[in-house]
Amino acid sequence: MADFFNPTEEHKQLREMVRSFAEREVAPQAEEHDRAERFNVDLFRRLGSELGLLGVTVPLEFGGSGMDATAAVIVHEELAAADPGFCLAYLAHSMLFVNNLAVNGNDDQRQRILPGACDGTLIGGMCMSEPNAGTDVLAMGTVAREDGDHFVLDGQKMWITNGAISDSELGDVFLVYAKQEERSSRALSLFLVEKGTPGFSLGQKIHNKLGMRASTTAELVFDGVRVPKENLVSAPGGAVKSMMRNLAIERVTLAAMSLGIARRSIEIMNDYARDRAAFGQPLNRFGQIQRHIAESYAEYMAGRAYTYQVASQLSLDAFGNRLDSDGVKLYCSTMGKNVADRAIQVLGGYGYVGEYQVERLWRDAKLLEIGGGTIEAHHKNMTRDLSGLDKLL
Amino acid sequence: MKIVTTVKRVTDPDMKVKIKPDGTGIVTDGVEYRMNYFDEYGVEEAIRLKQEHGGEIVVVSVGADASTKEIRTALAMGADRGILVETDEELDSDAVARVLAEVIKEEAPDIVLMGKQSVDTDRNQAGQMLAAYLGYPQATFAFELKVADGWATVGREVDGGTSTKRVKLPAIVTADLRLNEPRYASLPGIIKAKRKKIDRKTPGDLGVDTANRVNVLQYEAPETRAAGQIVESVDELIEKLRTEAKAL
Ligand SMILES: Cc1cc2nc3c(=O)[nH]c(=O)nc-3n(C[C@H](O)[C@H](O)[C@H](O)COP(=O)(O)OP(=O)(O)OC[C@H]3O[C@@H](n4cnc5c(N)ncnc54)[C@H](O)[C@@H]3O)c2cc1C
Repeated sequence: MADFFNPTEEHKQLREMVRSFAEREVAPQAEEHDRAERFNVDLFRRLGSELGLLGVTVPLEFGGSGMDATAAVIVHEELAAADPGFCLAYLAHSMLFVNNLAVNGNDDQRQRILPGACDGTLIGGMCMSEPNAGTDVLAMGTVAREDGDHFVLDGQKMWITNGAISDSELGDVFLVYAKQEERSSRALSLFLVEKGTPGFSLGQKIHNKLGMRASTTAELVFDGVRVPKENLVSAPGGAVKSMMRNLAIERVTLAAMSLGIARRSIEIMNDYARDRAAFGQPLNRFGQIQRHIAESYAEYMAGRAYTYQVASQLSLDAFGNRLDSDGVKLYCSTMGKNVADRAIQVLGGYGYVGEYQVERLWRDAKLLEIGGGTIEAHHKNMTRDLSGLDKLL
Repeated sequence: MKIVTTVKRVTDPDMKVKIKPDGTGIVTDGVEYRMNYFDEYGVEEAIRLKQEHGGEIVVVSVGADASTKEIRTALAMGADRGILVETDEELDSDAVARVLAEVIKEEAPDIVLMGKQSVDTDRNQAGQMLAAYLGYPQATFAFELKVADGWATVGREVDGGTSTKRVKLPAIVTADLRLNEPRYASLPGIIKAKRKKIDRKTPGDLGVDTANRVNVLQYEAPETRAAGQIVESVDELIEKLRTEAKAL
């Protein structure tokens, strides 16, 4: 029963469970939440309270499900096939916040925060990017200065998924990267910052995004935020390692989202090309249409095989997987965008409007070439890692 | 309270069914399988009964080895243990009922919850036949179920409305769609199900001869419906009803 994409019976059951939830509950609300630029908080909490998906990789003792990177890939692939925007909120919570804390936090922090984050009571996110520092992450300006038994955080974070859960309400809890002591430092520290801490506020919810509109993106402001020392995650100044570790699973699951987008786009164009007639025959009799469908499928399967292969080798607490975690995201993000683009082309005018979903999938697909590292950042990282190799095994 | 609930592995009804060229069956290559929808309602009701009354839920399937997957799904939803009566043959409803009757005799549950029919062959027979073989009362098409003092009160969907029936336990109850809203098998449930036991038997172990009494001679697809037409006038409509539809 097991196969490459479902290595154990549990993986297979997980996929079927998420797919049936995604088809019945997630897909029907996708268009409305995209149009309204609204995050479906109630549906999101059900992923935790009802399905146990919010802590997919978290050890059982902290309220999670204790599964592996492949399980995380399965969940993202299936959710993104129904609603990539909703899935991005899931990723920011479950991978960037929950998995990050599960891997890098101490037992106190994990016991205090993870059960609520796994059952959907708390909604979390991760703050790395800033208005003036994205790809060049070490140029960040947020600084944490030690003051007695606290650290004091000053700065701004930008593009934070789940930063807000509505137009005016902050998310509940965040992992925030900041410079240790001074801006010029190259050492980063990581902090847990909770809603309600004085000085921590919602700068703005960002409107008018091209895609991923069913997830919220926000600017967050830290103005003399006093964070108790027990909220320091891992060693002071040692957070670059934590960041690297978590970026690997982030990129692999972002790649999985592109796989979901590609699969859905292929299903839609395949159906349409079978049913729609022109010049007296179905569209799928025309060579140019065949090329769109066949190339999309082959590229999707290539990306899928690469992603599952990398996921199967990825251990969540190690780092040093950068070449291939960047590689799958580099390949799959552009693949997903191209496949959605071909789906629009196959559907002609109908592809250009909301009803057939592919225009939304195409808008959502574009984000994956930017968020979690731009494709240019992947080029840079991969080439640097490859430059140290003489032969590929 | 001891509850037996049954699950059948069926071809996914949302897929397009293709019939083999020689008409001996349907094409199963590349076909997805899932738990019969109506059985999900039976399993859900079993879980709710257990929540209210305590006890044990035994989930039973008759079918090929692959049916362990549907049993595991029921275990992941909350059933306690499974029994697979393994056979690679295509059984008719009567043979399934006779196999189940032997399992029920061994398990001696207070109530048996089944789907009202399976969405692949849509025969709607197994529950009724099982009740007959066991000499148990039956209440089919349940949309409501209450159990108290050794009796089940069952709201049933019947032609033209609903009716209420009281049956003495042990009894067979078959589920209709309005009975409840089946839960999803949660991820923690899936992980727990891995450790739950599934017993395997064969119809032979139970002393049941499964030779079919109903034989399928031939599968045929229904005629494909012609596309609709838009007519310009009432006269044209009447003309078409007369000449094309031959309805007048
Ligand atoms: C919807 C959305 C959600 C997001 N969610 C989060 C989140 O939850 N948390 C978070 O921390 N961040 C988040 N981000 C931020 C995201 O990770 C950054 O946008 C991304 O890293 C790029 O940074 P930037 O936007 O500052 O672009 P820049 O880094 O300024 O890049 C601009 C352009 O320059 C190119 N470039 C930069 N440096 C180089 C180089 N060395 N070589 C070649 N080209 C280069 C880039 O590839 C890009 O094309 C999100 C972004 C979006 C849009």
